[in-house]
Amino acid sequence: MRDLAKRYETPGRDPVWAIRGISFEIHEGECFGLLGPNGAGKSTSMNCISGFYPATSGSVKIFDTDVYTHPKQARMNLGVCAQDDTLDTDFTVFDQMVRYGTYFRVAVAEGRRRTEALLQRFGLDSRRADLVEQLSGGMRRRLQVARALVSKPKVLILDEPTTGLDPEVRRVLWDVIAEERAKGVAILLSTHYMEEAERLCDRVAILHLGKILDCAPPSELIAKHIGKEQIDEEIRAGVRWKRPPNLEDVYLKLTGSHLEKTP
Amino acid sequence: MTGWWGIRCVWLRYFDVYRKSLFYSVVTTFVEPMLYLIAFGFGLGGLIKTIQLGNVSVSYRQFIFAGIVGQTILFQSFFEAAYGSFIRMYYQRVFQAIATTPITLSEVLWAELIWDASKATFASSAVLMIGTVMGDFSPPGALIALPLCFLCSFIFAGLGILVAARSRTIEDISYPQYLLIFPMFLFCGIFFPLENLPKVFQWIAWTLPLTSVISLIRTLTLGLPFQVQALPLLAVWLVILIVWSRRAMTRRLVK
Repeated sequence: MRDLAKRYETPGRDPVWAIRGISFEIHEGECFGLLGPNGAGKSTSMNCISGFYPATSGSVKIFDTDVYTHPKQARMNLGVCAQDDTLDTDFTVFDQMVRYGTYFRVAVAEGRRRTEALLQRFGLDSRRADLVEQLSGGMRRRLQVARALVSKPKVLILDEPTTGLDPEVRRVLWDVIAEERAKGVAILLSTHYMEEAERLCDRVAILHLGKILDCAPPSELIAKHIGKEQIDEEIRAGVRWKRPPNLEDVYLKLTGSHLEKTP
Repeated sequence: MTGWWGIRCVWLRYFDVYRKSLFYSVVTTFVEPMLYLIAFGFGLGGLIKTIQLGNVSVSYRQFIFAGIVGQTILFQSFFEAAYGSFIRMYYQRVFQAIATTPITLSEVLWAELIWDASKATFASSAVLMIGTVMGDFSPPGALIALPLCFLCSFIFAGLGILVAARSRTIEDISYPQYLLIFPMFLFCGIFFPLENLPKVFQWIAWTLPLTSVISLIRTLTLGLPFQVQALPLLAVWLVILIVWSRRAMTRRLVK
């Protein structure tokens, strides 16, 4: 992705720059994190990378294929799990996985085989005949990630895949992300959970107001911006604690907030 | 960037949903035109024996049967497109989910239009078939009317998609439904010859696409005189509504 910029234009309002010229590369078997709060530009970046939103300027390539000039070819290698629930409520769990595979030219018989395996892996096998509305929030999220994998993508885009999930489901998804990365899949993970980014990502870009403030492995970011000293903070009136520095401290520092450091 | 494979793939998705809920689909597609046929064709048709249209005299049942073909095209394509596409775009996010796969948004929107037109054609073919079996329509004319029904369905499907794209909530669809669709249903010549209306209302009726649709269907199925203005008017509506609806829905989805 090179110098990607995106400006939203609404009639009667001033244009808003959601992304202001960001660049990065993701390599095979790498999990790259986009970290930032709501409104930082994460979802816009994801939508531009998938080619769904046209960029105002810049380019996005997936294995040397431009997503804007050759979207079909580029997206053959792409699996997308959007932030919003986009599951097809007209189909059962099993059927929608197979159907989604057909959009990637996966033959129905092959799609069924892959769906069987993915439903087992995501613990959804017993719900194969259920409609989406019969599933819990955690199951829906698992299904959406599973659906993104039915085409065996080489690049996986996960837009806040664990937001609002309980710790158990989050762990399941973390394991899947780690397994896919080990298989050589390049993963772009957007999250506002710093712990998640620290745990899963090989490199993290800290996004704020549409700009990348810094990009490096989590440990390097922490060492560079915070150091190795313990953080001393007041968690409520009169109660202080010391803890190791983390990505959240980096984020707060880079975006202008400051925590007190102990010598 | 638009290819038949992608359009076919999405059309098959719609057809699969239709097939899976067959009873519901049959009821919503075929019951309504049948009710109109029975109520107006047989009920009202029993009271009004014949009507004179220029030099041609036809039974009221023949007249109304041909009108109901047009009404079926209007209702089936508009309502499927307006409510159906709003639900798929806003609540289900089907468009967004498919348009991040190798199938492009352009293909998704073509498939939506073709599906809405297909569903309207299924329903209007039933009316054409009944009219032919009852001896009211000329069989070759009814056969030629079928592709015309498919083509005309794109006009109202386009209108439905345009309305869905411009509606903030599903309730907003009621405005064009009451202010445009129902007036078309009542005043475009389904139930009575346009000549019965004052001249100014006849002109207004001819600016609406349903009048041209019904006029052409009556020409084909009943042999009524061909109104020359019908074809160019339909062609203009077809192009405007297809282009405008696709553009509006793309703007709604792609920021």
